[in-house]
Amino acid sequence: MFDPVKIRSEFPIFSHHPELIYLDNAATTQKPEAVIRATSDFYQKENANIHRGIYELAANASQKYEQVRRTVASFIGAERPESIVYTSGTTEGINLVAQSFLAGRLQPGDEVVISAMEHHANLIPWQQVCKMQGAKLRVIPVSEAGEIDLAVFKKMLSERTKMVALVHVSNTLGTINPVEEMIEMAHSRDIPVLLDGAQSVAHYPLDVQALDVDFFVFSGHKIFGPTGTGILYGKPEHLENMEPVTFGGDMINSVSFETTTFAAVPQRFEAGTTNIAGVIGLGAAIDFLMKFDKNDILAHLKNLTETATDALRQIDGLKIIGTAQNKSAIVSFTLGNVHPHDVATFLGSENIAVRAGNHCTQPLMDFYGLPGTTRASFSIYNTAEEALRLAEALKDIQRFFA
Amino acid sequence: MNEQLKALYKTVILEHNARPFHFEKKEDAGHVLEAYNPLCGDRFQVFLEVKNGVVTEACFHGYGCAISKASTSVLVKNLENQPVEKAQELCRSFLKMTNPDSQEPVEMAEEFMAFSATRDFPGRLKCATLSWEEMTLFLEKQTVENEN
Ligand SMILES: Cc1ncc(COP(=O)(O)O)c(C=O)c1O
Repeated sequence: MFDPVKIRSEFPIFSHHPELIYLDNAATTQKPEAVIRATSDFYQKENANIHRGIYELAANASQKYEQVRRTVASFIGAERPESIVYTSGTTEGINLVAQSFLAGRLQPGDEVVISAMEHHANLIPWQQVCKMQGAKLRVIPVSEAGEIDLAVFKKMLSERTKMVALVHVSNTLGTINPVEEMIEMAHSRDIPVLLDGAQSVAHYPLDVQALDVDFFVFSGHKIFGPTGTGILYGKPEHLENMEPVTFGGDMINSVSFETTTFAAVPQRFEAGTTNIAGVIGLGAAIDFLMKFDKNDILAHLKNLTETATDALRQIDGLKIIGTAQNKSAIVSFTLGNVHPHDVATFLGSENIAVRAGNHCTQPLMDFYGLPGTTRASFSIYNTAEEALRLAEALKDIQRFFA
Repeated sequence: MNEQLKALYKTVILEHNARPFHFEKKEDAGHVLEAYNPLCGDRFQVFLEVKNGVVTEACFHGYGCAISKASTSVLVKNLENQPVEKAQELCRSFLKMTNPDSQEPVEMAEEFMAFSATRDFPGRLKCATLSWEEMTLFLEKQTVENEN
């Protein structure tokens, strides 16, 4: 049975902070004992650099490191482990695709399509590549509820469109975008699609092959893994044709002073010593996640989101920002005229951790005419009681500022 | 609710947040300062007239949390009719009083002291000092220009 209280006990942070109501999971999740142990065990007992050493420790480290690639591949349904590139996070993955895959294909007048709800990480890399090549960044609008109109999206695609980059689940609004349909629409015009899965991969059953997505990126730290880890999945035919953008050790075939031939995929994208212990920890995080049935996780989060939403709706002057039909466990709101940072400070003093601000989606905030929101985001260790405590604390704050 | 936090927001801050001093735009002012914190998005403009080394008029506009709005309001209110040197002194005292690394005791009027509690909330310190720091830079330029 799915038991959030028992799950909570697997996260050491909560034994150090028993009172902590952690509702900032969209920023980063807490780490289970298994992940912390995997990283520290690696440093304590198994540490060596990979790929270079031929002694036993080094060989074992390499083997473990490559084993995680297989774990990730099966976790997201990739055809083979070589389609999995280790990165430092979502941000690096997107930048790599923008520079290595797209930049060379963009001609002046071409277009890249993103949505109005993109995280800065899935906006600026495209914006800058477009600027460099004289191409145009086009933005799919969102409705007041925070949804994309598929008909509008379809009209936006043309023979000039060279890439669609889209957030799967919005970190600000919680909207789950209809990515299946959108990928199909783009593909009917042979346009490749990158999905930013930073907020989706922890909770949603995911199969990159069934989705037929060209690129899928996410961060380890948002799925219970270490910071500084991430994954770029790319279709083999894309990765094979991409040149590296970072050069150095461990990514070459042979080097002379005149020329270099690069290693095969994925090593050619992993220059220098990577975050080996982090990757081992990420493997442990995925093992941890795979113990659960994602349908149980989804049912739990749906229940929490509904409890929170219902309780928050009762509060005078509170407005929920992002009311899409299809929504994940992220609840953004404004509380009358009380500034989000004041709200978050008061919640913090009640041991309730939330985020306040523009959530790295400044253009989206501009669209709503807001300087920011307060955001509660839930995960597997949160309980309905915590959602209700949030609502009670908000009522106190509202009274204090009234 | 947390007592320490209530102390931080006590009447001075709530009062200035609800009824800020000279909260208006004056686009044609002699000097317009912008106090902006890209980390949180707080952004205030302070409009000033300076004549013969004296701040003759001051008002402000913009958006931010209760602490940054109130601290800007208190700043603007206490600048009017002050010679630049006096204003500089005031900024120095305020920034010393709110600086958690400063051991030196600073005595100021209650209106200012209300912000000393931000020392206990490192995440909110910048809210109290944002406009004051910007003002310090501006006033420094004023004195340099006067000397030249
Ligand atoms: C939707 C989305 N995309 C991208 C990112 C950036 O992730 P990272 O900072 O781990 O690279 C985040 C995280 O804040 C996010 O929520």
